[in-house]
Amino acid sequence: MNRSTSAPAVRHALLATLSLALVQVAAPWPGLQAVAHVLLVLGLAPEFRSPLMAMLWAAAAGWVLEGSLRVYPHLGGTALANMTLVLIIRWTLAQWPPRDRNPFWGRMAVFTLVHALLVHGLVRLAAGPHAWGSGALWALLCVPIWSTLVFRIHRPFRS
Amino acid sequence: MRRRPWGWNPEGRRRWAMLTLWMGHLLWILLTRSPSMHWQQVMGMLSRPSQVMASSWSHWRQSRAENARNLAEARAELQTLHWQVEGLRTAMVQDASRNAEADEAIRLLGLKKQLPLELKAARVIVNVRKAPFGGMVLDQGRDAGLVPEQGVICPEGVVGRIWSVADHQASVLPLDAYNASTAVMLGRSRATGVLQGVGPNRAEIRYVGAQEIVQPGEPVYTSGLDSVFPRGLLVGTVSAVHPRDTELRIQVALAAPLEKADLVLILPSRPLIELQPPAAPPVVVPKSKRVPK
Repeated sequence: MNRSTSAPAVRHALLATLSLALVQVAAPWPGLQAVAHVLLVLGLAPEFRSPLMAMLWAAAAGWVLEGSLRVYPHLGGTALANMTLVLIIRWTLAQWPPRDRNPFWGRMAVFTLVHALLVHGLVRLAAGPHAWGSGALWALLCVPIWSTLVFRIHRPFRS
Repeated sequence: MRRRPWGWNPEGRRRWAMLTLWMGHLLWILLTRSPSMHWQQVMGMLSRPSQVMASSWSHWRQSRAENARNLAEARAELQTLHWQVEGLRTAMVQDASRNAEADEAIRLLGLKKQLPLELKAARVIVNVRKAPFGGMVLDQGRDAGLVPEQGVICPEGVVGRIWSVADHQASVLPLDAYNASTAVMLGRSRATGVLQGVGPNRAEIRYVGAQEIVQPGEPVYTSGLDSVFPRGLLVGTVSAVHPRDTELRIQVALAAPLEKADLVLILPSRPLIELQPPAAPPVVVPKSKRVPK
């Protein structure tokens, strides 16, 4: 596996910033917004060196998503789900570093499903019943795209 | 010395921050019920450009879909109109012959009302007038009471006379036949003569003296002297006049369209020379104006 051990952190932070901006501006297009959100939370945020930074990016993604949707009466559920899943993904990346692309796709697909269930569960806990939408389906369909991007920028790290 | 993971060192402070962040969110969603209106307003304001763009995009798609729908409806309506026009054209073609025949019948009926004679209508079933010794064949014959030497006319003028009669058909000798002779008179000079056919739609008047003054365009009527036609039926107009020895050679353009005649009227045998005008309708006197006895 080709691991870039000297990948610039600036590029990583820039990608995360662009993803966060895309989550904000893609509010009228739920499918695109869901893909950008999943890319940031499941792909880019766990790659930060600091777990605190990873949690902050995940929380920011959750708050921006819920704030742009403007449909939930009480916010915070998505951010909590994001932070929880980021910690889990970081732990799995440390325990089982990705070596091939296709297994990584499968792992990300599983995390996408888990993320969707966790987000909807915590949003229901915070804001009550709500519409699910088709964002998770779009994120799942685009796993080969954003997972490949994440796989290319992945650097081994110790949790 | 081993560092404590939750002690007051950079690693410990980071762990405490993460725990605080996570627990803060958990307590936030469990214990508070703030609607977070301010945060949503800020986010909504930041996403306003994309919302405007999405609205424009949506309007454009709706407009395009509506235009496409209108175009499809217009095409369907145009196709329907095309079919209706085709149907009307087909019906018009089918009814053309019937309408023409109806018009001809109306004109014949008008002529029949004008002439105080017992007229019979007949249809021309064969018209081989231009063939050598050709003529016209009617669909009426001896069964309809026809006899030879009965005059045949159409609304435009005189057609000819019946030449021979079979049981169910009769042949007509048209005016332009070479062996046809008809007693005629000129409209202005009142000179009489005999009309003889010289070719398709052409005939000449014989036996008109050279002293007569005849001008082209002068109408030619039947004179009634041959006991076939009554006096005054239009035969044609003078097309040319040429002096020849002691008589004039008067060429006549026949009025009746012999090649297009379809319905004709048959005059009674040996009609009177002078036609009697139809009787005036009886005058109805209102009852209120009657003089009491």
